[in-house]
Amino acid sequence: MISRRTALGGLLAAGALAAPRFASAQGSTTLPHPGRFGVETFSLANGLRVVVLPSARAPVVLHMVWYEVGGADEPAGQSGIAHFLEHLMFKGTQKTPPGEFSKIVARSGGRDNAFTSHDYTGYHQTVAADRLEMVMEMEADRMTNLVLTDKEVIPERDVVLEERRSRIENSPAALLDEAAREAMFGRRGYGIPVSGWPDEIRKLGVAEAIAFYRRFYAPNNAILIVAGDTSVEAVRRLAEKHYGPIARREVAPRVRSDQPGELPRLLVRRDQRVRQPQWGRDFLAPSYRMGETRHAYALQVAAQIIGGSQISRLYRSLVVEKKIAVGAYAGYSAGALGLSSFGFSATPAPQGDIATVEAAMTEEIDRFLQGGAREDEIVRAKRRLVAATVYARDSLATGPRLFGLAMTTGRTAADVIAWPDRIMAVTAAEIEAAVRAVLVPTRAVTTHLLPAET
Amino acid sequence: MSGFASRLAWLLAAIVALASPMAQAIDIKPLVSPGGIRYWLVEDTTVPIISITFSMAGGALLDPVGKEGTASLLSRVLDQGAGPHDASTFKTLQDDAAARLGFWAGAERFGGSLRMLRDQRAQSIELLRLALAEPRLDAEAIERQRRATISGLRRNEESPGSIASRTLYRATFGEHPYGRQVDGTATSVGAVTPEDLKALAARQLTRNRLIVAVVGDTNAQDIGPLLDQAFGALPPGDSVPEAPVWSPPPPRSGGRLLTVQRPMPQSIALMSLPGMKRDDPDWYAATVMNYVLGGGGFNSRLMNEVRDRRGLAYGASSRLSYYAQGGVFTASVATMNERVAESIAIIRAQFDLMARDGVTERELAEAKQYLVGSLALTLDSTAAIAGLLHQMQADNLAPDHLTRRRELIERVSADDVRRVARRLLRDDALTIVVVGQPVGLTATE
Repeated sequence: MISRRTALGGLLAAGALAAPRFASAQGSTTLPHPGRFGVETFSLANGLRVVVLPSARAPVVLHMVWYEVGGADEPAGQSGIAHFLEHLMFKGTQKTPPGEFSKIVARSGGRDNAFTSHDYTGYHQTVAADRLEMVMEMEADRMTNLVLTDKEVIPERDVVLEERRSRIENSPAALLDEAAREAMFGRRGYGIPVSGWPDEIRKLGVAEAIAFYRRFYAPNNAILIVAGDTSVEAVRRLAEKHYGPIARREVAPRVRSDQPGELPRLLVRRDQRVRQPQWGRDFLAPSYRMGETRHAYALQVAAQIIGGSQISRLYRSLVVEKKIAVGAYAGYSAGALGLSSFGFSATPAPQGDIATVEAAMTEEIDRFLQGGAREDEIVRAKRRLVAATVYARDSLATGPRLFGLAMTTGRTAADVIAWPDRIMAVTAAEIEAAVRAVLVPTRAVTTHLLPAET
Repeated sequence: MSGFASRLAWLLAAIVALASPMAQAIDIKPLVSPGGIRYWLVEDTTVPIISITFSMAGGALLDPVGKEGTASLLSRVLDQGAGPHDASTFKTLQDDAAARLGFWAGAERFGGSLRMLRDQRAQSIELLRLALAEPRLDAEAIERQRRATISGLRRNEESPGSIASRTLYRATFGEHPYGRQVDGTATSVGAVTPEDLKALAARQLTRNRLIVAVVGDTNAQDIGPLLDQAFGALPPGDSVPEAPVWSPPPPRSGGRLLTVQRPMPQSIALMSLPGMKRDDPDWYAATVMNYVLGGGGFNSRLMNEVRDRRGLAYGASSRLSYYAQGGVFTASVATMNERVAESIAIIRAQFDLMARDGVTERELAEAKQYLVGSLALTLDSTAAIAGLLHQMQADNLAPDHLTRRRELIERVSADDVRRVARRLLRDDALTIVVVGQPVGLTATE
C-alpha cells in the first residue's frame, strides 16, 4: 500500500493484527463491548455502507471513506491509475478549489491523507468533533463532483513519478520485492505495482483518470467509517444529508485471477547499494476470499508459531541457537480479495552466508510440516494474537482500519467482530492441514538480495 | 448556488473555524508516589490499559569516544533477560502477561515504555522492575544484539536518506556529541565490551532526573505503589550529565554544499541552518514560521512551490529540532537528478522571501489555528498521551503548559515571525548535503 504523503505505519504489515473484541447481541446490529466501546453498521438507500465506532476519549473524530477499488482493478496498460486518481482527488470540485481540501482541513486544526493498495483506496481526515460535518460535506462532494484539468493533472503526474523514484527505484529491496510479486502473481493484478510502471504512468491523463473515477467511485462501492467522539444517530443524520443524495451507479463486480505466475522461481538481485544481504521465500496462499479459504485462520496461528516473535521457532533456531542470522520471521495476511502469500524472511548475521541461512530456514519449515505444532505453542500464539485486540482498541485509527480492510476485501463487520473467536477455535489438526496445503516448494518465490560481486 | 458563492462559503467556513479547547480536556496531575517517585498522571478509563513512558538523563551523551552506540546497545540488551530469567523466558513472561516492554537510547536521554493490561499490571510492573534493577546482560544476549545492531547499521549504510543524514550531522555538529550516530558505527559497536555495558547500566539506570508519565485506567492510589516497585530500588545517581556547548559552523558566503555521489535516479537533498533551543523566547514565532514555510504539509509554501506547482518532488518539508545546547532547522526534498538543482534553488528562494517579508496575516492566522487545534488530534491512544507527558517533562514545561501554549501561539505577531526568520534563515549559515548523481551542482568542499 502506498499513500499520498506518508505510509500509514505498518497498517497492513500487521494484517493479522487483531480486531476489537465485541460481544454480539443477538438480533441487533448493535454490538456493545464489555468495556465502553461499541460498533454499529447500517446502510443508506443508495448502497453506502456505514460503520460507526464511538469513543469519547478526546473531542476528536476520524472520518474515512474506503472505495472498493485498487491497483488490481486497473485496465491493461494503465498501471498506476488507481493511485494517480487518489492524488487527483485533491485537485478540486466546483466547491473546493484545487489543492484546498487539505488546506481547509488544516485550517481547522485537522489532518488528512489518503492511501491506495491493490484492493482498496481510502481517504481520511482527523478533525475536532465539531468539524465532522465539514469534512463529510467535502468528502461527499468529491465522491461525485471531481473536476480535473491538465493544469493540475500534468504536474501531479510528475509527483507520482518522483514518489515512485523515492519509494521503489532508490531502494534495491523494493525493486526485488516488485519482481517477486510479478513472479508470484504474473503480470496482472497483484503482480503489477500499485505505483504503476513509469512508461505507463507517463501516458495517463485527465481522460483515463475520469473514466476510472466514473467506473468505481460510487456510494454503493464505498464504505464510510467514523470513529471517535460522535454517536450513531449523529453520523446517520449527517450521512443521510451529505452522502444520501448521491445516486447509486452500476459497478461491475471485481475480478481476481486464481492463477499463479511462474512458480517456483529464484530471484537474485545483486546491487552495489546493498551492504546487508537478505533472504526471502513467499508461498502462494489462500486469503479469506480465494483459494482454500478454510485455511485462513489456521495460517495466522501457524505464522505466529513459526516466526511471529522472538520466542518463535525460527528466531530461536537461527538467531539464538545457531547464531547464523540476526532476524528470522514468518508472516501471513488473509485480508485480500484474491490470493495471498505466506512469507518468510531472514537476515544473515554479519559475515554470514545466505546459503547457510536458506538451508536452516528450509529445515525449520520442513520440521514444522512433519511434526506440526505443540499444544503450548498453539496456546501462546493464540493468546498473543488475541491480546492485540485490546491494544487495537486503545488507538483511534486501528479499529477503522480493520473494518475498512475487511469490508473492501469481501468480508463483513461481523467477520471482524468474530475474528478472536475464530482464531481461538483453530485446532492443531487444522494448522497441520493448512501448512501442508500451502508450504509447497513448487509454489514459492525465493529471493536473494546481495551486494554487487567484487 | 453559483460556483463562486459556494466557494467563498467554503473558505469563510474554514477561516472562522475556531480551534476547539481540546488540549484542556486532558487533566494532567503532577504527583509523588509514597516512595518519592515524581510522576505525571492522566486517568483515562476508555480501555483497560495503562501506558508508562519514562527516561533518565544520559543516553548517547554517556557513550565513551570510540564506543559510540553503547547506550543504544544497552537499550537492546536490557529486555533480553533479567533476574532469574534468561532471554527466552523473559520474553515468554512478557507474552503471557501481554505486556509490551521496550527501551530506547536518545541523544540526551535513556528511557523505556511499558504498555500493559490493567488486570496484568502487577506481573507487568515486576518485569519492568527486574529489567531495571536486575538486568542480566548475558554475554550471549549482548553478542546477539550486537550482531543485530551491526546488521542494521550495514543495511542503512547505503540507504540514501541515511547517508544524507549522517553527512549533514557531521557537517553541522562536527566532533560535538550531537554529531554522533546514537546507534554508533559497526566499528564502535564492535568495540563495546560487556564491562562497558555493565558500567553504563550502573551509571544510567538511576533516579537521576527520572521522568515518569502514566496514562490509562488507573489512579494515584493504584499506580503509586507500583511505581515504587518499578523505580524505588534504583540508586539516586551522581551528577546530571550535560552536553558541552555547541557552536554552529562558521558562516561562509553563499553557504556550504556537500555532495555524495551514488548511482541513483533521484537525489536527496537535506539543508540545515542553526536553529534554537526549546526555551528560546522566540520558539513559538519560529514554530509558526516553520509551519508556513515547510512544516505545514500540504498547506506549506515549500509543498506548494516544489510539489503542487512544478511536480518536482513527492514532498518538500522543513522542521525544527532541538537539543539541550542548541537546535537546528532542516529542510528536505528528493528530486530526479536532472532537476534537483532547481528544487534546491526554489527552496533557497523561499528562505530568502520569508526572511525578507515574513508571513501574511492570513498565513499567520491559519498557522495559529492549526498549531492550537492539531495537538489534541495526536492524543489518540494512552501511549501517545504518555509520550506527550514525557516530552513536556523532558522540556522542563509545567503541567498546565497546554493551556499556556495556546496563549503563547496566539500572541505571535507577523513582526515576530519576520524577526525570527531573519535570525534563522541566513544564506551564509546554510549547509546543504546532496546524495545521488545531481546535475548542475558544484560542491564547495
